[in-house]
Amino acid sequence: MTTLEQAEAAAPRVAEATPGRRPLLAGNWWRYLVSLAAMAFALFPILYVVSAAFNPVDSLSGSGLIPDTVTLDNFRAILSGAPGEAGSSEAALDIPYKNWYVNMIFVSGATAVLSVFFGALAAYAFARYRFRGRRMGMMTLLLIQMFPTFLAVVAIYLIVLRVGRVFPAIGLDTLSGLILVYLGGVLGVNTWLMKGFMDSIPDSLDESARVDGATPSQVFWAIILPLATPVLAVIGLLSYIGTINEFIIASVLLDTTDKFTMSVGLYGFINDKYAQQWGTFCAGVVLAAIPVVVLFFFLQRYIAEGLTRGAVKG
Amino acid sequence: MADVQLKEVDKIYEGGVHAVQDLSLYVKDGEFLVLVGPSGCGKTTALRMVAGLEAITDGTISIGERVVNNLSPKDRDIAMVFQNYALYPHLSVSDNIAFGLRLRKMPKQDVNQRIAWAAKLLDLTPYLARKPRELSGGQRQRVAMGRAIVREPQVFLMDEPLSNLDAKLRVQMRAEIAKLQHDLGTTTIYVTHDQVEAMTMGDRVAVMSMGVLQQVDHPQHLYDEPANLFVAGFIGTPPMNLFEGTVQVAGDDVTVTLGRATLPVAPACLQRYARVRGLDGRVVVVGIRSEDLHPASARPDNPTVEGSVELVEALGSGLMAYFRIDAESVRPAAVEAVEEAAGAEGIVAARPNLIAHFPPRLDLRLGETVPIAVDTAGLHFFDRETGAALR
Ligand SMILES: Nc1ncnc2c1ncn2[C@@H]1O[C@H](COP(=O)(O)OP(=O)(O)O)[C@@H](O)[C@H]1O
Ligand SMILES: [Mg+2]
Repeated sequence: MTTLEQAEAAAPRVAEATPGRRPLLAGNWWRYLVSLAAMAFALFPILYVVSAAFNPVDSLSGSGLIPDTVTLDNFRAILSGAPGEAGSSEAALDIPYKNWYVNMIFVSGATAVLSVFFGALAAYAFARYRFRGRRMGMMTLLLIQMFPTFLAVVAIYLIVLRVGRVFPAIGLDTLSGLILVYLGGVLGVNTWLMKGFMDSIPDSLDESARVDGATPSQVFWAIILPLATPVLAVIGLLSYIGTINEFIIASVLLDTTDKFTMSVGLYGFINDKYAQQWGTFCAGVVLAAIPVVVLFFFLQRYIAEGLTRGAVKG
Repeated sequence: MADVQLKEVDKIYEGGVHAVQDLSLYVKDGEFLVLVGPSGCGKTTALRMVAGLEAITDGTISIGERVVNNLSPKDRDIAMVFQNYALYPHLSVSDNIAFGLRLRKMPKQDVNQRIAWAAKLLDLTPYLARKPRELSGGQRQRVAMGRAIVREPQVFLMDEPLSNLDAKLRVQMRAEIAKLQHDLGTTTIYVTHDQVEAMTMGDRVAVMSMGVLQQVDHPQHLYDEPANLFVAGFIGTPPMNLFEGTVQVAGDDVTVTLGRATLPVAPACLQRYARVRGLDGRVVVVGIRSEDLHPASARPDNPTVEGSVELVEALGSGLMAYFRIDAESVRPAAVEAVEEAAGAEGIVAARPNLIAHFPPRLDLRLGETVPIAVDTAGLHFFDRETGAALR
């Protein structure tokens, strides 16, 4: 049976799984229970943050889950760069939230796009070519991945410091330097994941394309890349989210307030620096979550496909 | 249009498997050549070397005037149909067909014309907008054919293109592909493990076994004059009956003894197998085709062997009768390999060793011992050690 037939054979089975009519909840009520519990578990913190963002009271413990009054003050404060009354007016000038926002999107977006692109190129080579050092290369990548990047934070700091003396554009306190460090962190895993997927694309597709007249790069662009889109979307999104969440390295490398990424910048609100302003912090977080949610919506189709597709092959 | 020439081509895989040995083969311009052999004999490897998908260890391959040893597949001007079709899953049928044309930067109008032409030829017009996964097996097969023919290459290479279809469709497509090739007149190398497919489709058939080319000939010649035991056992359904027999020469008369039966060999046969005359007293392998066996009552003039009836299959137009006769049967290793692949099992000694094609409505009782007439004009003789025909 070819993989194509397998895929075809699998399709009707999916259709069978949704039978005409079945008494609701009968028999598998516990499934709903489990999923409800999972949802509550996942949604609770989000609810809390959203509620705190709209709550005029600026502390966490003081506010209930449902605020007594709803206010947009926190949003206004953070967007104008002037946080609530708890902060001094001097500090207010020092909070370029919009910069952080742009930095976040730029750094995460660039990391995601570049890591997907370079990862795909590397994965194609590892999946399709036999060359000396191939196994070693794969193993080294895997090994390096075993250590979280922040373990090397001192080394990274020193490297970036020194590199910055020669190439100031990618030195300390630059976003491009940060992106490069992030790329180093995610490329390995991404390459592995994509290679795994590309291995499942039958070789005969490449061969067929080559006989049809395609060069290796045409095979990559016209066959492999389109077939791998679901996985690329998933990996890109995961890299994006991962980078947005990253704090340690960014806080070590970035120095100037208006170069901060979101996580480093917002940390200031719950750090002692501006006193603890949970309301403003939460407003900032809620706004920062928007691009991820939007992206998720756009990529949803691919993600569902990408997470399940490996099973049946291309 | 071009001829294809393989000269002393070898392929040794990295692991040391000698998949193709010293293969020399000439495919004439416009010819339909079928490469046939049991699974694992190196057919695909040979085809892939012609395509340029597999490096050649030794020898030369030329297409037309050009030696293509070092050309990449795209520069060889060939088209290949893969066993699993290898359709691009993300492209529609028409984009699949046009893929090669677009890579060659053919003007859009011409591309559309070619797509329409191929689709019409292959009955694909209603499906042009569909994706491969929305097609049946037979339709996918035709798309793969379409992708090959639109490019109008010098050579078609096909690797078991029908093996994923059900039996009925296979027979139908067999005829369609043969006709298409005939109409287009494109030189074609077609690989299959199915000797019926080979016999029915090929202008000529090349039989391979264990990486070695055994014989290349027109299908009828292959059947009538197998060059060796392997070809004798591989070509033909049912396979040729093979026994050890002792040759006796007395003046002009030659007889061969199978077990207890002694058969005088017809002069017509001696003409074809001239070397038999010189082998007085030697043990050789004797081959008898199932259609050279008859019920004794129908051929009173022919010599007979006694056999007990083991199994009778009524085919409607005739009977396939399985006998056990008292003679040492020979099973070429390659035939065993084929049977193994087909899942045949059992203790060799208990198996029927003679299969006869009889006329229908014959009253044969299981276990009964009956005389079987042998048309000795059709006997075949092979060397017991080398397997070569004793011509
Ligand atoms: N990529 C490969 N590496 C090593 N050995 C191979 C490879 N491909 C095929 N072989 C071996 O070469 C022999 C011929 O294979 P193949 O040409 O595929 O046979 P066929 O198509 O006649 O079934 C087999 O023994 C097979 O195991
Ligand atoms: Mg094969």
